[in-house]
Amino acid sequence: MRTPLKKISFIGIMTSLCIVTNYMLIGIPNVKFMDLFVFVSGYTMGVFSGALVGVLTWLVYGTLNPYGFNLPTLAATCTGESVYGITGGLLSGKLKLETNGSRFYENLWENSLIFGVIGFLLTFTYDFFTNVVTALVFEIPLIPCLIAGIPFALIHEVSNLIIFSLLGSVIINTIQKLIGGERNYQ
Amino acid sequence: MREIINKNTWFWASLVLLCGLIISMYLGVYYYNENVKYQRLYREAIERLHHLRTHMLIHILINYGNGTKIWYNETEVPIGSSLLNATETIAKVDYQLFKYGAFVTAINGKGGDPGYYWMWYFWNSTSGEWEMGPVAADAYILHHGDAVSWVYEKPSW
Repeated sequence: MRTPLKKISFIGIMTSLCIVTNYMLIGIPNVKFMDLFVFVSGYTMGVFSGALVGVLTWLVYGTLNPYGFNLPTLAATCTGESVYGITGGLLSGKLKLETNGSRFYENLWENSLIFGVIGFLLTFTYDFFTNVVTALVFEIPLIPCLIAGIPFALIHEVSNLIIFSLLGSVIINTIQKLIGGERNYQ
Repeated sequence: MREIINKNTWFWASLVLLCGLIISMYLGVYYYNENVKYQRLYREAIERLHHLRTHMLIHILINYGNGTKIWYNETEVPIGSSLLNATETIAKVDYQLFKYGAFVTAINGKGGDPGYYWMWYFWNSTSGEWEMGPVAADAYILHHGDAVSWVYEKPSW
């Protein structure tokens, strides 16, 4: 099976976008656009593309990171991040967004709420998973590790709720209008 | 999208409530943990205050004369302790007793070199200088906040 060139380009662009925005926001811990971009990649281009964008982003950002490099943590973040893309891909057929201009704005609030909730719950799953892995890797007792991570998790989850709400449906509609989704060209 | 939302209103409402529950849980656990932490710190502070009714804090410098200088800041000793008692709480002290008081011969095993002695000084905060101790170490009673030093040196006399 030939992999469409358009898809490869899209994966490259989205990965670059994730990495650039991650480094741009490196001074603000746990506030990142990456999670949304990975989710959007999965939503617009399918499960595999979404997962790949998540993994590739972390392979670069997790290796060249001023906070340090740790292989088990990198594996955990790659896995956790790919969940955003996989979930985006799985929801793609179920959340049919309105690309028509007037209808899109009619449903903007509902869409925003749905994306916000999805972003929050996915981030909760990601934080829980990565905190558990961190506790195991660094041999820290699990409960204190989870409690110590609460402020960071809260910032991550609430910021993603806001980012997904404000930008989720807008970006997906823009991408679908510009290049079409997976179903349009495969 | 509207149809999906309408069909699943309760589903999405439940998820919104779940998000609220998670945030509440986070805040609850976090502030409970903070409460426990600050209660513990408060108890420790009270215990320390009680302890300071009978104890005082002093600062001791030990200068081994070979470039090694070690500060023992905020050393806690019972009120009314002499310099010798205080030094014994932070180091192994060898001394001989004479009629004028205790003569320190070694601190932490350092001492006994020909012509070298352990001299002690106190910090005069008015003049801003170290001044030589006027009495033997066991005769000098310390006060809260005092800074004293032991120096292993060849006296100038």
